[in-house]
Amino acid sequence: MRLASVVPLISAELVAALDHSCGIRTDTDLIFFGSSLDIIKRLPLGTVTLSDLQKFTELVAEQASVPGYRGDELLAGTARISEKHPQVSCGVKELDELVGGFGGSRVFEISGAKGSGKTALALQVVIQHLLSDADSCALWIDTSGDFSAEKTAQLVRHFDVAVSDKVLERLQVSLGFNIEAMHDVLEALRISLSSSRIVGPTVQWIVLDSITPLLLPSLSAVSSQGHAMMTTFMRRLRELARTFGITIMVINGTSTAAPFNQSSAFASTIRKPALGPSFTFMTDCTLWLSRMKDIPDPEGPFSVHVAEVFRSRATRSKTWCTFQIRYGVLSSTSDL
Amino acid sequence: MSRNILLHPTLPSSTQLVLRRAGYETLDDLSNASAEALSKELGIDISDSQSIITASQRPPGPALSQSLASLISRSQSLACSYAAVNTALGGGLPRGHILEISGPPGSFKETLALDYTRIFVEANEEVIFIDTQNMTSLATIKKTFHNSSAAADYQDLVRYTHLHTLPDLMLFIHNLLSEIHAKTGLLVLNSISFPFLSHPDIQSSKRTALLEKIHQVFLQASALNNLTIITTSQMSTKLLNADGSPGNFETGAKAVMVPQLGSTYLPAGRSYRLAIVPESRTTGQDKVH
Repeated sequence: MRLASVVPLISAELVAALDHSCGIRTDTDLIFFGSSLDIIKRLPLGTVTLSDLQKFTELVAEQASVPGYRGDELLAGTARISEKHPQVSCGVKELDELVGGFGGSRVFEISGAKGSGKTALALQVVIQHLLSDADSCALWIDTSGDFSAEKTAQLVRHFDVAVSDKVLERLQVSLGFNIEAMHDVLEALRISLSSSRIVGPTVQWIVLDSITPLLLPSLSAVSSQGHAMMTTFMRRLRELARTFGITIMVINGTSTAAPFNQSSAFASTIRKPALGPSFTFMTDCTLWLSRMKDIPDPEGPFSVHVAEVFRSRATRSKTWCTFQIRYGVLSSTSDL
Repeated sequence: MSRNILLHPTLPSSTQLVLRRAGYETLDDLSNASAEALSKELGIDISDSQSIITASQRPPGPALSQSLASLISRSQSLACSYAAVNTALGGGLPRGHILEISGPPGSFKETLALDYTRIFVEANEEVIFIDTQNMTSLATIKKTFHNSSAAADYQDLVRYTHLHTLPDLMLFIHNLLSEIHAKTGLLVLNSISFPFLSHPDIQSSKRTALLEKIHQVFLQASALNNLTIITTSQMSTKLLNADGSPGNFETGAKAVMVPQLGSTYLPAGRSYRLAIVPESRTTGQDKVH
């Protein structure tokens, strides 16, 4: 923060004198320069008294600091939000219990090998919420071109033919090929959400289908730049979720874990989520999906999957459940 | 509400760094500065500092996302003159999508590609036609337009070139996004599989990397520039064991013909793969998957 922007509270001559004789331009320069006595020694005589300078330094520190929040106010706020948008099941009751419900302003990570049902799960959660809340809107960010508009429209019609057109209007799709484009999309979203004249449904869900090709190329063993980019991006997502009450689901790929994955309850899991060991700490819950077997059936072939929580802030980890997918629709294994 | 300069969409990143080093963190700081003061402080021209100030005040560009309903309705389908192909594609080939036509030699892949070329030229759009096997000569193209209504100006609208080797193909793919402009509607890659045949010993990781590059460029071209892409591909024989797992000549129980390049280079959400199965010299079936 430049000192010039605090000018009505501090005189402009003092700011100019600080800049000229001590090279102090910003608040960090002023606070960390040294004691007020050192500053007074460098300034020309008679510019300011010691007590005034100390008062101004305190003022600048207060302007630069982050406001505090009271815990009870935060709790009341979240209770209000959950009243306005009640939780909707994703279709599998056990899965909802595993993660504590897909809702709240949290960032979920869904990881698993190819074909394990990550996109199907994210799509089903989003569609169920769009169907239940006519005031909400979802943003689907596709990074690899795998999103098929026709197939998604068919899935929505399968759930509810009557309102399917309106639901299709509220599902926004955008493409992101690199991390800079992603920052642009998020910034545009942030600007539109924080402008006071919001008309129409508000975005409550963001799905980032496959963050791995965006971040993986820059992660390297010799430079920390990729890791810094990853941390900045995930922090922005988290900030967006908390500020506007949006739930974000991030889909992640896999990499090998030798000899087997320690955080899994099964010894047969030999892969782990991609993007390194620190990625799981940047999200609120890491869900691992894997495909067990395919079963042909007179009603249509379906596949059985296992969902496991590796790490979660709200629920226990190393807990798991099974579900099945038939023609892209998730259901519980108990209702066969 | 102060907006962080480092994440502003319209200022270039070099400018953002210079501003940040001088202590400007939010757009509010920048809005209070005059062009002269800014140029004196950063040591740059007055015109540059004025452009920075106007750039920071410009609102961000158009919305970067579109609704699913508009995505479905936006793509108009193009019907070719073969009814079977149109039915297989569910009405026609939508614009901005990718079609891979594969089949054994002698099936009418090139004829179908030329048919789509004719449709695009009649709609007054440019077509880029790449021939890698010398199978479609200029005379063949001329014959296609012989009876068409656009016979007069097809020569201006069809850009035709030969590419034979894999490096040539990759160079073309690399430069594709800068070559196309608003009027380009269709890209035809007549036999995208042939350049890969001339390098049979390429490592599979390198081959996958090349195919991924093609995937990226195709995705960007079709999504952002609304370019329709048609590729033709030869087929290769794959041997499977009795239980369906991949096998070789000793263990194999059945052989299937699959398109040579696999599906890595096609973005799954916007591609159609058409396989042509000839039954006699003039009839056959087609199947989309």
